[in-house]
Amino acid sequence: MSEDIALDKLKDILLKVQKPARYVGGEYNLPDMDKPCEERVCLCFSDKYEVGMSNVGTRILYHLLNDTEGVVCERAYAPDLDMAALLKENGLPLFSLETKTDIKKFDLIGFSVQFELQFTNIVYMLDLIGVPYFAKDRGEDIPPIVAGGPCVVNPMPFADFFDAVLIGEGEKNLDELVKLHRECRKKGMTKSEFLKEACKLDGVYVPSLNNPTKRAVVEDLDKAYYPTKVLVPNCDIVHDRSSIELFRGCANGCRFCQAGFYYRPIRKRSVDTLVRQARELMDSTGYDEMGLLSLSTSDYPQLKELVEKIKVEADKRKVKLALPSLRLDSFEAEIYEEMQGASLTFAPEAGTQRLRDVINKNISDENIKSSLISALKYGVKNVKLYFIMGLPTETEEDLQGIVDIVKMVKYLHSQYGASKLLNVTVSTSIFIPKPLTPFQWERQISIEEMYQKQEFMREKLRIKNVKYSWHGAQSSVIEAVFARGDRTLSKAIVKAYELGCVFDSWSENFDYEKWMQAFEESGIDYKKFLQGFGEEEILPWDIIDNGVSKKYLLFERKKAYEGISTPNCIGKCNGCGANRLQRCEL
Amino acid sequence: MIILKHLKVDDVSYVSHKDILRVLQRGLKRAKIDVKYSQGYVPHMLTYTTTPVPLGVQSKAEYFAIDCLQTDKDDVMRRYNESMPQGMRAVDCFYKDKNPNLAGIVVASDYIATCANNLPKEIEKIKDLKSYVITLRKKGGETEKDVSSLIYDLKVDGNNLYMRLASGNDNLRADAFIENINSKFSCDIKINDIARTAQLVNVCGELKDVEEFLK
Repeated sequence: MSEDIALDKLKDILLKVQKPARYVGGEYNLPDMDKPCEERVCLCFSDKYEVGMSNVGTRILYHLLNDTEGVVCERAYAPDLDMAALLKENGLPLFSLETKTDIKKFDLIGFSVQFELQFTNIVYMLDLIGVPYFAKDRGEDIPPIVAGGPCVVNPMPFADFFDAVLIGEGEKNLDELVKLHRECRKKGMTKSEFLKEACKLDGVYVPSLNNPTKRAVVEDLDKAYYPTKVLVPNCDIVHDRSSIELFRGCANGCRFCQAGFYYRPIRKRSVDTLVRQARELMDSTGYDEMGLLSLSTSDYPQLKELVEKIKVEADKRKVKLALPSLRLDSFEAEIYEEMQGASLTFAPEAGTQRLRDVINKNISDENIKSSLISALKYGVKNVKLYFIMGLPTETEEDLQGIVDIVKMVKYLHSQYGASKLLNVTVSTSIFIPKPLTPFQWERQISIEEMYQKQEFMREKLRIKNVKYSWHGAQSSVIEAVFARGDRTLSKAIVKAYELGCVFDSWSENFDYEKWMQAFEESGIDYKKFLQGFGEEEILPWDIIDNGVSKKYLLFERKKAYEGISTPNCIGKCNGCGANRLQRCEL
Repeated sequence: MIILKHLKVDDVSYVSHKDILRVLQRGLKRAKIDVKYSQGYVPHMLTYTTTPVPLGVQSKAEYFAIDCLQTDKDDVMRRYNESMPQGMRAVDCFYKDKNPNLAGIVVASDYIATCANNLPKEIEKIKDLKSYVITLRKKGGETEKDVSSLIYDLKVDGNNLYMRLASGNDNLRADAFIENINSKFSCDIKINDIARTAQLVNVCGELKDVEEFLK
C-alpha cells in the first residue's frame, strides 16, 4: 500500500503540534511492513499514543497479526486535539503510523475499547477517519470495523458503531476473524455475508444480528502467543517498560471487581516460559524496567522461584523488576525489600472488617497491621492506601474505619518506623456496580451522597503528612451509566461528541454539564442505569455469556448481604462456572 | 571512549533530544555494549552528546560518545547499527583514549536548507552586516537579539541555502534563523528541509570539521 496521504502537508503540521513523535511511528522492532500480504488490518486505540503504547493487550494482538502469514497490521491512536484540528483544517484523514495510509483504505479496522470514558473517542476517531458513526450507515466501500477490549463485558452502549464485537481474548479469535475476512473477500462476499459467517466463530457478536455470544478464551496460556520482540517507543509513554504476564484471571473473587470475574478461568504460564520470555524481552527492548503482570501477583504459585530466576537475568542487564498487584495478605517482605524501595501501596478497599467481608476482600485488620509493621521496619517512607466509597451496606462507621486505619498507620510508624518521616496518601474512588460482578444488581449512590462522603473524608483526614485525593464524582456517574447501559446510549455518545465531549478520561477535558445536555437532548433517562436492577430483570448484557454464571453471582450477592466471605478458589473450586469455557489451572 | 557519528533523519527528526537520549541508551543495552556507569547513588550510563538540533531539523552529523570497555570501534558501530531505529544509523566511528568533550569545544555547525523555489542572493548579504536583529521565541515570550556575530557564513546556490551558524555555548538555532529568513525574504523553507551537515571545532583559530579533528 502506498503512502497515500499528502505527506507534504503532514510535514508542515507535525511541527505545529505537541510531541510530534507520537504521530510518526518508526519505533524499534517494527515488523516488516513490506512482506507479501493479502489482508491489511489497522488497529485503532481510542486514547492517546502514550496510553495505547502502554497497553499489553493491543501489543500482543499487533504482533500476533504481523506474525501471521499474509497479514500486515498497522496502528492508529486517538490524536490529541491540536493534531485533530490541524488534520481537519488541512483536509487530511486519520492515518496509520507505519505507512501513513488513510485508514479507510485498510481491509479491516479494529478498535480497542478499554474504558467507559473513552466511548466518545470512538466517535472522534470515526469522524477523523471520515466514515459514518453507525455501522448501518456505512456502505460496502468502507471496510468492516470491529471492536474488542475489556469493555466488551457489556458492549451494548457502543455496539451500534461496529459491524462486529469480539468478546473475549483476541489471541483466540482475532486472527481467525482476519483469516475469515480474507477468504470472504476472495470469494467476493458482501460485508453482511461476511458477518453472517463471522458470528459462527467463537466470541463474535454481530450487533445487527444480536446473536447470543459466548466469550472466547485461550485454552493453554503457556503455549499462547506472546510477543518477545515488541515495539520500543521513541518518546515517553505511560508504562515505559517491557512486561510478562504471569497468569490470567484471579482467584480472590472480590465482589466489586469486574476484572476478577471477567478474566476467569484462571490460566497460568510456567516458570520456564516466563523466564525465557523475560530474557528475550530484556535483550530485544533494552528497557530498564520489567513488569511482572497479573491481577494478583502473589497468588502465582512459584512466585519466589520465578522472581529469583528472572532476577539473575535482570541483574546482568541492569534491569529493575516491578511487581504491581501484590496482595496485602500475602505480602512478602523479602520480595518487597528488593523490588519496591521506599514506597508501599495497599488497597484494603473498605474501612472495617464488616464491610470487607461484604465485598469479600479477604484481608483482616491483623493482616494489615502485620504487613505494615514489617514494611515500616524496612524503612518505608510512603504508604499509599486505596479505598472505595459507596459500597453496598456502607455506613458512616465504615468511613470512620478508613480514618482509623490511617491513624493506625501513623501510630505504627511512631512505634516501628525505621524512617524519620512517613507520608500517607489516601485515595478513594466511587463504587461503580459493574456488570459480571455479584454487585451488578446494586444501585450507585447518588451524586449528592458522593459529595457528602467526600466532604466527610476531607474533614476527617486533615492530619499532618496525610494527603487525601478522591476520584471525581461526576465522572463516576458517567462511567456507571456506560458500564451498565443498553443500546439506546449510542445516540447519547454521538450527541455528547457533537457537543464537544472527547478524551473524557482526562480530567481536564471532562465536562459533566455537556453530558447532562447530551442525555437530555437525546431523550435518555440516564438515571435508570444507576438505580438497582431487579434480580429477575433481563440485564442489557445478558446476551453475552462471559463464563461466570448468573446463578453464582446471585449466590455471592446473597452471601454479601449476610456478611459471609468466600475463600479464594486456589485448591478448592467455588463453582463459579467459568471452567465451562476452559479448565482453571491455579 | 568510542565516538559515533550518526544520522538523525526522517521520522526520528520529530523526536525530541530528551527522548533521543533514552533511545540511544536503550539501543546500547540492546547492542550489548559494555558501557561504563557513574558511581553515584543512581548510576547512569556515561555517554555524551553535542548541542542538539531543533525539533524537526534533520542531521547528518550527530556525535555520540560512549565510555565503554570495548575498544574495537568497528564492532561497536556494527552492533549499534543493528540495534537502532531507522533514521539513527551511524556512518562513522572513532576511538579516543580520553573524552574529547565535544559539547564543550564545538563552536559552529554547517546546515543546508532546501526550498522548493530558487532563493534570493540577497540573503548572503546578512553575513556582512554589523548588526542583525532577529526575534527569538522563548518560553516566556519573544525576545530580540543581535545575532550578527553568530552567523559565520551564508551562501545561496539556486534553491539551496548553506549556512554556518554558531553552535554550542553560543548558539543560533537554525530553525529560528530560517523563520526569520522566510518572513524577511518571503521564502517558504520548511523546517524539516533543514539538515545539519557538519559540526566544527576551533583549532588554533581555525574552524575544523569534528570528523577531521577526531581522525
